Amino acid sequence: MSKELSLILTLLSPVIGGLIYGFERIVRARMQNRQGPPLLQPFYDFLKLMDKRSIMIHSFHAFMGIMYLVGTWFSLYVLLSGGDILIAIFFHVLSLAFLVVGGFSVRSPYSVVGAMRELIHMLAYEPIFVLTAAGLYLVTGTFQVSELLKTDTVPILSLPLVFIAFILSLPAVLKKSPFDIAEAHQEIIGGPEIEYSGKFYEAVYTAKWIEYIYAFFFVFLFAGSNYLLGAILVVLSFFIVNLIDNSTARVTFRQMVSFHWYILIPLVVINLMLLALWRA
Amino acid sequence: MNLKKYRTKSPWILHYNTGSCNGCDVEILACLAPKYDIERFGILNRGNPKQSDILLVTGPVTKRARERLIRLYMEMPEPKVVVAVGVCACTGGVFRGMYNVENGVDKFIPVDVYVPGCAARPENIIDGVVRALEILEKKKKDLQLTRKCTGTEELEYLLGKQLNRRKIVAEGTRRCYESRRD
Repeated sequence: MSKELSLILTLLSPVIGGLIYGFERIVRARMQNRQGPPLLQPFYDFLKLMDKRSIMIHSFHAFMGIMYLVGTWFSLYVLLSGGDILIAIFFHVLSLAFLVVGGFSVRSPYSVVGAMRELIHMLAYEPIFVLTAAGLYLVTGTFQVSELLKTDTVPILSLPLVFIAFILSLPAVLKKSPFDIAEAHQEIIGGPEIEYSGKFYEAVYTAKWIEYIYAFFFVFLFAGSNYLLGAILVVLSFFIVNLIDNSTARVTFRQMVSFHWYILIPLVVINLMLLALWRA
Repeated sequence: MNLKKYRTKSPWILHYNTGSCNGCDVEILACLAPKYDIERFGILNRGNPKQSDILLVTGPVTKRARERLIRLYMEMPEPKVVVAVGVCACTGGVFRGMYNVENGVDKFIPVDVYVPGCAARPENIIDGVVRALEILEKKKKDLQLTRKCTGTEELEYLLGKQLNRRKIVAEGTRRCYESRRD
């Protein structure tokens, strides 16, 4: 991908992410036998939040909300400009850490509990991201996204178990049920972002759209240079994630961590070990 | 860009029960459920005062609930509207005049739309919310204090000085009580 195209895509990513989110709300509504909001609903929300008075708790808290947006955006830019996958993952972790610090910096108990749960989320799914990057390295011999998008091999053929584990960890990344414990809307209304309002909530809201693109770009990487297969995988994983979201209830954080650490990580490790044995 | 138009396109709801029998709450949830589906108008039940536009209140205001009601109202950023759902929230209903209730929401916070009924029908609630949206579009972004508070200039001065929010809420609550003693 050329430098200009990646820069334009990164600047447009809130628009693309908003459209994905609007489409997802329609899909979710249709799965529940409802009509659902219009496609541009996320942008209406965005413009309305711009119009609201924003109540600041303190300036550091508001600053952390904006840094969450900036960090997520930068990690997406690293991916789109053909940079290192590991650097993108670490910047994503850093942006979530900003959200966690912001959540801990106010005295609201919901915010603090949400921030703790956000840390448990990171504990659960970040190893799978790093192991996925390691698997892609084993197959293609590079961590660079620009090289990955040019390889002759199709990584998903060598990494089927890694792909399954990655799809099953996507609900935790996108904070959907059964792993939506960080922003449990019925319980700790929004978690770390509960105290944000007005323009600062807008930053957090937009960062979530960008996380959609970030997560699904990893799915796209599993197809290597075969872009059509990549698009099919992205659409398929999008529907699977929404189906899981609609058909399950929330689990406890212990169940989430044990599912990730005792089922998904062993799946990934078995695949990587078989790959190494087959290579040797 | 006219942002006022977008206020009506994505109103988020905060639902608070000030001691009702749960009948009106079930009807509000029926509005959100697949049959009536008010999410197609962009209406979401957020449950978070900092991010909501419409406050739906059900039930006669019990003396335990009034502080929370005032506090939730003050935590919502402008512009905001209040909808009293059910006859209890409008006037106190069958509980009117009892020693432990305060006869309606408008004793404490300004109510924009009254939705009658025991329990209020989902169609009436949707109609009330649509009426509230018309009012929401006209409202200004400026700060509005509760109607029953006396000496609002002083309170506005305190808010302007960015004092401790807990103190401001406590001060507003105390003044509301004082104004009720007449």
